[in-house]
Amino acid sequence: MGPYGSTTCSGVSSSASSSSSSSVTKSPAEIDGYLADAGYKVRASDLRHVAQRLEHLETVMVNSPSDLSQLASDAVLYNPSDIATWVDSLLSEFNHQPLMSLPSDLDFPDGAVINNPAALSGETWTDNSSVISAVPQQNHQLTVVTAMEEDSGIRLVHLLVTCAESVQRGELTFAGSLIETMQALITRVNTSCGIGKVAGYFIDALSRRIFSPQSFGSAAGSTHENELLYHYFYEACPYLKFAHFTANQAILEAFHGHDCVHVIDFNLMHGLQWPALIQALALRPGGPPSLRLTGIGPPSPDGRDSLREIGLRLAELARSVNVRFAFRGVAASRLEDVKPWMLQVSPKEAVAVNSIMQLHRLLGSDPNRNSPIEMMLSWIRNLNPKIVTVVEQEADHNKPGFLDRFTEALYYYSTMFDSLEACAMQPEKTLAEMYIQREICNVVCCEGAARVERHEPLSKWRTRLGQAGFSPLHLGSNAFKQASMLLTLFSAEGYRVEENQGCLTLGWHSSPLIAASAWQVMSMAEATTNHQPVGILNQNNNANHV
Amino acid sequence: MHQNQNTSSQDSKEKRPKFFINDHIDILVEILKRLDGPSLGVAACVCHLWSTVARNDTIWEHLCFRHVSSPPPCSVRPVVVALGGYKRLYRVCMRPVLSRLSDSDMVKRVWTRDEIQLSLSLFCVDYYERSGRLGAGGGGDASASSLMFLCNTVNV
Repeated sequence: MGPYGSTTCSGVSSSASSSSSSSVTKSPAEIDGYLADAGYKVRASDLRHVAQRLEHLETVMVNSPSDLSQLASDAVLYNPSDIATWVDSLLSEFNHQPLMSLPSDLDFPDGAVINNPAALSGETWTDNSSVISAVPQQNHQLTVVTAMEEDSGIRLVHLLVTCAESVQRGELTFAGSLIETMQALITRVNTSCGIGKVAGYFIDALSRRIFSPQSFGSAAGSTHENELLYHYFYEACPYLKFAHFTANQAILEAFHGHDCVHVIDFNLMHGLQWPALIQALALRPGGPPSLRLTGIGPPSPDGRDSLREIGLRLAELARSVNVRFAFRGVAASRLEDVKPWMLQVSPKEAVAVNSIMQLHRLLGSDPNRNSPIEMMLSWIRNLNPKIVTVVEQEADHNKPGFLDRFTEALYYYSTMFDSLEACAMQPEKTLAEMYIQREICNVVCCEGAARVERHEPLSKWRTRLGQAGFSPLHLGSNAFKQASMLLTLFSAEGYRVEENQGCLTLGWHSSPLIAASAWQVMSMAEATTNHQPVGILNQNNNANHV
Repeated sequence: MHQNQNTSSQDSKEKRPKFFINDHIDILVEILKRLDGPSLGVAACVCHLWSTVARNDTIWEHLCFRHVSSPPPCSVRPVVVALGGYKRLYRVCMRPVLSRLSDSDMVKRVWTRDEIQLSLSLFCVDYYERSGRLGAGGGGDASASSLMFLCNTVNV
């Protein structure tokens, strides 16, 4: 017997009959009567399932013609009047692949259940089905299994949300039992893509939170590991490239006409953002300015000065293209430890501050206490920068309630994993997933000072930056064109660049996932805060720039 | 008969000197400058001399900027040469970018400045990543490169 015995037939047909009965003009009982008169022992409600099985049988027969002759001579077929069982017995004669291991096309129904029914768009379905086309031999078997697996997927999501709710209420034993249920359930779901994969990561994160709360920070990893994973995330999907190119375009435009420019990067990593800016400045009409770059990053534990190494590489590049370049590294384990005097900003240079997914680390969860973000924004403003480029995840992962945060994160990272399916490069894809997994763990497992992934949506950043004395700088059509071109090159059909009141967002289908914006210091006439209109930080000595 | 043939060919030799393209490298260069990428690659396989000539970077420069509406400023050349040369620029950036962007419009059209600028930026990132790999003991082309997404078309 195939994996679906007659017992399962009735289970599936109960859902099938509800959809088919609405379109049937005669009552099911009448049809049952007709079928019985014709000698068939099958109920009208079973017919849809039988039709699917017949379709499957036809496909299997077409694909393995060699078995047909065996079927004609050796197979013993019992009781063909019971159509459903007859088809199943035929199918069992063939050595077909197990029907469970299929890429599932059920991502967004689950997303719709949690949060946002608008996510279930026609585009999503066609996108998922084209993912499936990459596994050709299983294509036709999909319709048969979907009903079964869809149930498991939806159940998993429900269980995840219920578990998060019980964690929020403090019912840890109940939550623990739910974890066990989910771990059993997930063995029946395909975890190589779709809802199974995302659920796997979230189950893991929840179980860490429930069972080993003392190891909150253990998912953090070493600096070197983080940089490596960041690099693979840079390559596997376009989010970071979009961030870099958009910010660079805005900085380039802001530096127009200035001969002495200084860029402050809040997270240098491998410095991948800056070669493109150096090259664009080299080809600037009128000649390149002299460029200073100050790179902030965590200190390297093993005595290597990784910041300086990156600076040397960038300097070598700048020298090749004849751009006068100076580099300074500022090592700080937390961004709030950086003080403005460390940056040695000179009054005659045009300053650009660049923050790629860093500002959210400064947010605290308690809105009443003075969080480091306000102090930081105020001294950034005092540097009088020509432009501040901010790129942040477009998500609301800083809500005080755990359940809210959890469901937001589940939806956001499902979308992100879905977009990652478009990447075919290994090991880039797997390592990029590890990078995302660390973010998930931080959002789900950590609390207090350990939780640094406090993402907030663009609307909240607008308010925050506005209150800190910044006014928005529209990114312009050049940035939009460049971002669109970059996405065309990336050759995956689901990414979308959108313009949102002068800011650009990059997302997967209709969900924006990352938002890039640019800011300038509000002029004194616009300023409504109590800040002293300090123009320029003037307590620097003349630093030696070599 | 045989002698007649010899004299007639000798006459034609005096009247019209035989033309060997290999004697006129400048003309060869002019011809190669007008070829498209794949043809240039084939031409480079003809013989040692042609292979050497085809390595001439100005030929690839012409190929890169053939589709541009206005010629690029003279500041571009030293930058491209410093980052690896026009042949590499064509192979690693321009050709994949051109083929991807042309696919979306079915019409053959000129490049815009924005597209050239994007290609040059990507080329610069490629140079930077290679410099990092060499510094770390040389991983060769097998290690991570952010331009791989140009070479591997992702089918969704």
